[in-house]
Amino acid sequence: MKKSERRFSLPIFADYTPFRFIGLAAAAVLIYLLPKIFADPFFILILQTIGFTYMAVLGLDFLVGFTGQKSLGHHGFFAIGGYTTVLLTTKLGWDFWWAFPIAIVFSAIAGLIMAVTAFRAKGPYIVMVTIAFGFVIEVTAHRWVALTHGPMGIFGIAKPYWFGSRLNATGYFYLIAYAALALTMITLNVLSSRVGRTLVAVRESEVAAGSLGINVYAWKTMAFVVSGIFAGIGGVFFAHQSSFINSESFPFSQSIMFLAAAILGGSGTVFGPLVGTVLLVLLPHIFAGLYKYYLFICGLILLLGIIFFNKGIVGSLANLKGFGWLNPKKPRLDMPAEKLTFDISVPNDRPLLEVTNLSRYFGGIKAVDGVDYELYPGCIYGLIGPNGSGKSTLVNVLSGVYQPTAGHVEFKGEIISGTKSHEMAVKGIARTFQTIRLFRHMTVLENIMVGFHIHMRRGFLGHMLRTKATVKEEERFMRLALALLTRLGMTDKADTLVENLPYGHQRLVEIGRALGTFPALLFLDEPAAGMNSYEIRDLREIILDLKAAGIPAIVVIEHRMDLVMNLCESITVLDFGQKIGQGTPSEVQRDTKVCTAYLGQAEA
Amino acid sequence: MFEQIWQGIISGLAQGSVYALIAQGFFLTWVTTKSLNFGQGEFLMMGAMFGLSFFGYLGVAGLNPFLAGVLSIAAAVMLGLALERVAVRPVIHLASFSWVLSTVAVSIMLKNVAVLAWGPAEMKFPAYVSEKMIHISGAGIAPQELFCLVVSVATMLAFFLFLKRARLGKAMMAVANNAPAASVVGINPTYIMALAYALSSGLAGLGGILIAPITFAFAEMGALIVIKAFAAALAGGLDNPLGILLGGLIIGLVEQGATIISSDIRDLSIFVFVLILLAIRPTGLMGVKAIEKV
Repeated sequence: MKKSERRFSLPIFADYTPFRFIGLAAAAVLIYLLPKIFADPFFILILQTIGFTYMAVLGLDFLVGFTGQKSLGHHGFFAIGGYTTVLLTTKLGWDFWWAFPIAIVFSAIAGLIMAVTAFRAKGPYIVMVTIAFGFVIEVTAHRWVALTHGPMGIFGIAKPYWFGSRLNATGYFYLIAYAALALTMITLNVLSSRVGRTLVAVRESEVAAGSLGINVYAWKTMAFVVSGIFAGIGGVFFAHQSSFINSESFPFSQSIMFLAAAILGGSGTVFGPLVGTVLLVLLPHIFAGLYKYYLFICGLILLLGIIFFNKGIVGSLANLKGFGWLNPKKPRLDMPAEKLTFDISVPNDRPLLEVTNLSRYFGGIKAVDGVDYELYPGCIYGLIGPNGSGKSTLVNVLSGVYQPTAGHVEFKGEIISGTKSHEMAVKGIARTFQTIRLFRHMTVLENIMVGFHIHMRRGFLGHMLRTKATVKEEERFMRLALALLTRLGMTDKADTLVENLPYGHQRLVEIGRALGTFPALLFLDEPAAGMNSYEIRDLREIILDLKAAGIPAIVVIEHRMDLVMNLCESITVLDFGQKIGQGTPSEVQRDTKVCTAYLGQAEA
Repeated sequence: MFEQIWQGIISGLAQGSVYALIAQGFFLTWVTTKSLNFGQGEFLMMGAMFGLSFFGYLGVAGLNPFLAGVLSIAAAVMLGLALERVAVRPVIHLASFSWVLSTVAVSIMLKNVAVLAWGPAEMKFPAYVSEKMIHISGAGIAPQELFCLVVSVATMLAFFLFLKRARLGKAMMAVANNAPAASVVGINPTYIMALAYALSSGLAGLGGILIAPITFAFAEMGALIVIKAFAAALAGGLDNPLGILLGGLIIGLVEQGATIISSDIRDLSIFVFVLILLAIRPTGLMGVKAIEKV
């Protein structure tokens, strides 16, 4: 992958520096001054439009920039938010501020529905789901005349009260703008922390995220819900801007505009959504005089913008000299490392893992066929066998990536067969992957931090408000991550994007990431693949060190016999999905069945 | 009631076959370039608009209407080549989603051009076959619809044969499977990707001149059709042309079936259907199930 590949992730953890407060204060003052400087009523309307459009774009960017999900259905959320408050205030005579939370709830429910229907869909299928979702709402608004009055519309929509008096245009702008500022702060807080890291991890590799205990579906759902709420709030402010809306107020083209603003501005950047929104809201007004050609001009500008700013305007500017401040801030790495010990308690009187008659078939292929397997704590195990003998499948079943066809697995005295991948991590089974599955667009440190996922307690709300406990937790785990990197001898690489690391280092990062779960049982799937003999020597030292540090059981799946024979205390051999041998390295080497499996049999 | 259902089935199949025809274009560009022309609807519209002009001019000159059709499709093909070169190739390497917007940008421009050149009004499009209803056991069937169905399905069958038998078709499928490997055996993927867009636009152009006699020709005519065609493609399975044909016909039937119940739920029915279908089968009816190998 090219080095110029966009980096979406915000800093791993941006603490409250004075600059942040200054930025916030400056934005607040600017918002206050804008209507004073441009007192023209038409201009204030445009400012309002920028404000509520920005909310939807921000929400969409939450989805596009961080989770990699795409949506062309956000006009649906806009409509749900808008219609909710409008109908409640005009038909039932509710106060705006009572209707507002209901709009948030409805948008959240809509986000939930969108997430559930899009759960298993990928790529263009997700786009279709979101388009269909948006259209269902649009068409319903159009045809359910009894409720929405369809194209005839609803009149007499009033602006909300604010401390006893109805807001005028300027007041309404202030309300929208400060709400947008608050949403921006929330987004930045949330995304530049554990939540952002987890979302990017899910985007980069769902399987790897699952292996670290991340409930992929739950996090995706969260992203859709938050995104929907943001767009819904935008819709509320849109609907109360003028005194009239109808079913044509929420066309499909809105969704395209939201996406265009998010991508043209620079998806996943701090200022991108705002820049994109301002541009797309202003364009029609700039070219309003050229009424006949205005669509053509807008299309042309959009096309040229996408071709020439291929990372979005802000994303592309950030690469230029003098615009470096647009890039995410690097984390401080000079904090003292926490002492790292793996204090993992396991029952000593029984096997750690007990596999009985385990099978996994793929159609007619018996990848794993009736395997019995026992592991005890305090030992490094080897799992070998010719290509296609079922080693990886066995690991995949034991780590919950695949479900077994038959047989059962006991871990720490508890039956765990059938457990999902992300629950296995919680139970204490971690793994690396044969083909590296790192979160490529994150740094080494960020990858390791994701590994701590199941041990971090602070959730969305804590990060949203940046509570003291949250800040403390982030700092503690960052020190732990540095300690882990010290153990792997990679402290100097902490701030490198993993995709720029050599292969051998990438393997180590994957091991480090798995260690973050503090596993009782660690599977290393071909950790030496692609390593030279020096790196393999280091790897051996590292694995021995992990045992000394207190990882109860490590299973090394490997083809490099020099490593396996010099490292493992007990070796299991698989062939055609069945166990054909087990013993110490020297026993296995003498086993005729094992030799036959690897070298074939001499013809009689 | 029986006549209504009978009529609905024919209309549904006719409309659905056009959705499927356009959706084959989605299939082609998706498998070869992993991008889609979201402006496919405007290419359909341009096909119809060119058709309108060519039929007009050639009709006056006493030339064959068949030739006019070929010329319109050729014009759509040229547009498709231009689209690929200008709006797809420059952004296709980007990991993000830029091609959605670049193709939409072109479609916005085309819509504007169409209004400038042909005006915003809905225009009647000359019919290829008799406009007199055929009555079969009480049900009135428009010959234009039958014509539409027959031509679309025949075109798609020819298209399937092309993919299976023709050298070029096989080359396209090779690129779809593995572009670097295809280029090793002497196939130029860049050329194939351009061809995919050309063919895809040609299919849209044909769809335009087929459906225009039924729906009239106007600048906005492609907007909703393209979404339904997209729904057809994904309902059937974006990587399976046969599935797409099936998907298109089913979408057409669902739409007409809902219309019989109430015209209010006509458009709603398609989207609800697709939502439910994709929730159950995330890769469509006949799409390849993505199994992630670990």
